Amino acid sequence: MIDTFGLIKDRLDQSPHLLRLGRLFSETVLIEVDEDEYYLTFDKGHLVSVAQGPSRKTPWRFALRTDAEALAKFWEPLPEPGFHDIFGLVKIGRGRVDGDILSLVKNLRFFKEIMAIPRSQKEAAQ
Amino acid sequence: MSIEAITGRYLTTEVEGTAQRIYFEEAGQGRPVLCLHTAGADTRQWRHLMNDSEITAENRIIAFDMPWHGKSLPPEGFETQEYLLTTQGYIDTVLAVIDGLGLEKPILAGCSMGGRIALQLAARHPDRFAGFIAIEASDFQPAWYDIDWFHRPDAHGGEMGAALVSANISPYAPNAERWNTMWMFMQSGPGVFRGDLSFYTQDDSLIPRLPDIDTQKTPVHIIVGAYDLTCTPEDAERTAKAIPGATLAVMDELGHFPMSEHPEGFRPFFVDALTKMP
Repeated sequence: MIDTFGLIKDRLDQSPHLLRLGRLFSETVLIEVDEDEYYLTFDKGHLVSVAQGPSRKTPWRFALRTDAEALAKFWEPLPEPGFHDIFGLVKIGRGRVDGDILSLVKNLRFFKEIMAIPRSQKEAAQ
Repeated sequence: MSIEAITGRYLTTEVEGTAQRIYFEEAGQGRPVLCLHTAGADTRQWRHLMNDSEITAENRIIAFDMPWHGKSLPPEGFETQEYLLTTQGYIDTVLAVIDGLGLEKPILAGCSMGGRIALQLAARHPDRFAGFIAIEASDFQPAWYDIDWFHRPDAHGGEMGAALVSANISPYAPNAERWNTMWMFMQSGPGVFRGDLSFYTQDDSLIPRLPDIDTQKTPVHIIVGAYDLTCTPEDAERTAKAIPGATLAVMDELGHFPMSEHPEGFRPFFVDALTKMP
């Protein structure tokens, strides 16, 4: 999982349009996958650190909580219905969004596109 | 180089006592088919069907921008109004367009909130129509989001709206059409998507009216995409079951904006729907 977030970080750094979308986004986001916690810290759109939890000391702005199987399906090039979007995961009961949802919504295109990066990587590998 | 067959003009009319200048487009001749766009968008969603010469050979495809949408300006004095679409206002607008264009019993094809109002019209004004194609349409869904997100001074409602509705677009949609579909939401006027959603997510008056729809007189065909999170196949199926004689088609690889997001994938379902209409 850390490798996948590393891939997101690298691809984000090489994507000027995503950095432009995220230029006002400097927050920490918690991604919880089953029992594992990952804290993604962004600075002006750059993903500057990925820290594995658990941590009770790391403040986060919003969280996406899901399970490994759902996330693997989300990252398929052509995901099944429901697994094709983070709100799809929520709708089918395989994900939850907590915290400052308005912060997420204000940066929704940015966050969705960076979360979907592994999808295109997988497609390119096939 | 090419020039498309679509032509656009303006209808000036009155809706609920208010003057409206309504933009409409059309292509083709024959049986009139009046098409209604989704919330937060406009007539451009229908452009692929209007440019389909096989469909327009026998069907006059007409679509209009609701007031406040696309090229239809908001009414005079809009600057002090809060735009909130209502069932009655929507019904009156559709009927005013039919009257203004002199359409004799058109088929009504509506998507999303357009599909919802198509079913309202099927229940309340069936005599004005030949039949109903209700796309991504259901009895009612409460919002799974806060509609006030889409009209705030500290954020771009259009960009947020587009990012949200992308949840309803199929991964099978060609990339160019996915983004063309989202562009319309990005361009939507401030508060317009919110005002449409207010109607779509708060008015449940259709539910008790569904059994009154007489599909013997006016057929109702519902089409739904499997990737639609807003109106799911289960929502559409529940709705179809409540309308005696209604038919349903599920599109496995499409989402909430099928005519716009994936025109090629949608075409056979729309052609099939037209064959079910008188």
